[in-house]
Amino acid sequence: MQRLNSTYPILLTSAFAALVLLLSAYPRFDKIRYFGAATLAVPADTVLAHTVDFRDTVAGSTLYQVLSKEKYPLAYYREIRTGVCFDNKCRLLNVVLYWNPTGRYLGFELPESEYLSKSDHEPFVAEEYQRLHALLADSLSPLSTFSYNEIVPSTTPPNPDVDAVSSATARAVLEYVVPGAAYTTYKLWHLLYGPAQEEVQRLTRQRLSPELLLMMLDSPALGDQIWALNHSRGYLEPSSALRQRVLSFIDPRDYNLAERAINALSPPDLESTSLQEVLLDKFQTGNHSLKKLLLTKLREAPALSTASQQALARQLTTLSGELVTSGLDLYQQQPTLDPAAGRVLSELLENDNAYISKKAYQFFEKVPLQDKLVQKRLGQYRARHGLSGTSR
Amino acid sequence: MKKMERRSALATIGAMSLGMAAPKLAKGERLAEPYKIKKQSLKTDILVIGGGTAGVVAAIQAGRAGRKTILVENGSQLGGVTTTGGVAYPGIFFAWGQQVIGGIGWEMVQEAVALNDDTLPNFTVPHGRQHWTHQVRLNGPLYAMLIEEKCLEAGVDLRFYETPTQISFQKNSWVVQTMGKGTQTEITCNQLIDCTGNAYAASIAGFNVLREVETQPGTLMFALGGYDFQSLDLPLIQSRYNEELKKGDMVKTEFYNIVALLRSAGDNVQHIKGADSTTSETHTIANIKGRTSLLKMLRFLRTLPGLEKTRLIDMQPETAVRETYRIDGHYKITQEDYVTGKHFDDAVSYSYYPIDLHDEKGVIPNQLNPGVVPTIPIRALVPKGSKNFLVAGRCLSSDRLANSALRVQASCMGMGQAAGAAAALASKLGKSPLEVPLADLRQLLEAHGGIFPTKNRKG
Repeated sequence: MQRLNSTYPILLTSAFAALVLLLSAYPRFDKIRYFGAATLAVPADTVLAHTVDFRDTVAGSTLYQVLSKEKYPLAYYREIRTGVCFDNKCRLLNVVLYWNPTGRYLGFELPESEYLSKSDHEPFVAEEYQRLHALLADSLSPLSTFSYNEIVPSTTPPNPDVDAVSSATARAVLEYVVPGAAYTTYKLWHLLYGPAQEEVQRLTRQRLSPELLLMMLDSPALGDQIWALNHSRGYLEPSSALRQRVLSFIDPRDYNLAERAINALSPPDLESTSLQEVLLDKFQTGNHSLKKLLLTKLREAPALSTASQQALARQLTTLSGELVTSGLDLYQQQPTLDPAAGRVLSELLENDNAYISKKAYQFFEKVPLQDKLVQKRLGQYRARHGLSGTSR
Repeated sequence: MKKMERRSALATIGAMSLGMAAPKLAKGERLAEPYKIKKQSLKTDILVIGGGTAGVVAAIQAGRAGRKTILVENGSQLGGVTTTGGVAYPGIFFAWGQQVIGGIGWEMVQEAVALNDDTLPNFTVPHGRQHWTHQVRLNGPLYAMLIEEKCLEAGVDLRFYETPTQISFQKNSWVVQTMGKGTQTEITCNQLIDCTGNAYAASIAGFNVLREVETQPGTLMFALGGYDFQSLDLPLIQSRYNEELKKGDMVKTEFYNIVALLRSAGDNVQHIKGADSTTSETHTIANIKGRTSLLKMLRFLRTLPGLEKTRLIDMQPETAVRETYRIDGHYKITQEDYVTGKHFDDAVSYSYYPIDLHDEKGVIPNQLNPGVVPTIPIRALVPKGSKNFLVAGRCLSSDRLANSALRVQASCMGMGQAAGAAAALASKLGKSPLEVPLADLRQLLEAHGGIFPTKNRKG
């Protein structure tokens, strides 16, 4: 196959592309192949070949990108042909690794008539392929921290008085590798989660669109949803389906998704009055952790609308502790304090909790409001605490 | 002439004496009065002793509940094991997809994560046997500053470099004598919370404390650099280490696994037997042992191939301690209670961590079964025979194995908030903590984001 610079990817034929998109929904029985859930369940149309510096010793520098008819990246794959060696003996590892467009492991496939074997040259059995598939799917595997040298079996008997590293480490490694195929597991895991994974994500980022992100958010894999949320910032046009979908993740039942969804909102998005109202609705029904995230996010809004100021003020008077402080900080940064909201907030001056009433007092000292009710409550607070004038 | 000389000599001596009493002052200098120990008496609603993981949360909770609060800390900064000890991954706040420890502790962690542009782990995916994948990593110094700001913002009066020397109960109040650098203070408080981690205040106050014959080792946290782990000849290094162990030049229990030491570059790998932070003397010994052990290891590493340029990049100022004393409380949480997730009628906080007992062979965590989330009854935070007294943190009443999990920071944060809230209510209502209505305690805790255990929690 001809190699081109990565900025000029090779376009393969659609017919070939249709053959190489090997998702679990389309099993082929003449090859050994194991696939997990795909991010996008869309038919393949095209395959592009990108030349990549993988910074490893495996021959070949091509990363294939499988696209849909709409040019959505569906999957990526790399053909691996390399030796797996130890004790001066080598075996050929011939396998195709697949990634989802988010960089998540998708699966592996062996070329026709190929099979994986263990250190004793025994072929893998079905359970071992399944175990390999499960181990490769674990992005947090401790294999990330093991050294290649730790996989080396001891050639000298261990000292009975001390733990020899190889025997001790072999035990530690064992649960993260296929027995008899530690090298193969280790090598494939590092190929999957090395520079190729970064390149997969980089290539997908080049094709991001609101439509693609929306589809990714419907992925069955939580990791894909988080990836899509992490990349949604800047794509959330008002009234767009993507914005609606992102907002749907702001739910106290899943903190991670909610936190990432809130993070996706940018200051320009927060200019929207309707968005502010949605967030305040979420604030009302959210738990404490979610309320805290939302208040922090609302501080990025250039200004809260009058309606938002009033709605939030009503909620703040029912809250305690840090939420009140954060809420008052939010009002303090507003270009203008709405008088009606200010009157509601001044109820905090009468709060039984000395911490809250003091915070409210400090707030109104910094944000003066010429309103009779507010001034009356301020006067009463000062009288109760023997204060005169400002507290600053 | 001779007389003159004698007179002159006397005058010179006089001038010298005068000179010693009144030195010649340069411009801008002044002769200072000799320093006198500053003695003062303070009154407060709540006194928290110990500004570590639990104490900070307890003090902030009490302050935010509107109570006048003093926090006494014998070190120079807040955060304890998280900051000074360098174990800046405070444990696990989510269990089986749900948040179980929230409130003030989580607020502090969350803000530290955001201000450092860190990313939270994915708590939704179960951690399996790798519970550390749910650990939240913090920037320790940043965290120390943030929590100090939060204490001040909550109106907590911080007193660094002070330690209690005498504690007595008088007229329904605790009177605590503290000694600091140039200070001697009498603090009278209505409610006292011992967050020393060592039940130190409880012991001084006269309550029984318990200790294992052999306690878990401590750890000096440090960071190594200057080598490429992937290119090391690990079998050779292990062999050389074995030789040193055989010769007795190295102590195996201090660095059980040299490969783990090199892989983690020093992160939580050393064990210092008997490390105890209770008194200045015991903590001095623990610190010296930790540093001596590390220095010896550093020198040894630099003799090995591939490690010749190994450098010490960072080291904490103190050896962090896992286990010392525990109170004899109204209830002792057992391992059985912990691993079965027993729900107590007076539960005030959750805890979540595997049983994690460190010994001379390292540590093999024993994970909790799916859905299990242990709870902490308030009775475990109150010494028998006490009034107006609580503890929070690792010195709660528990057996050794339960304590090996309860001692972890997130759990300490949860019980710190519960203790702070209970003390605040007790102070307000004129009661002792065990007399505070649980419904009131729940209401206060939840208003401040705390997660109050419920019997029908769905894991």
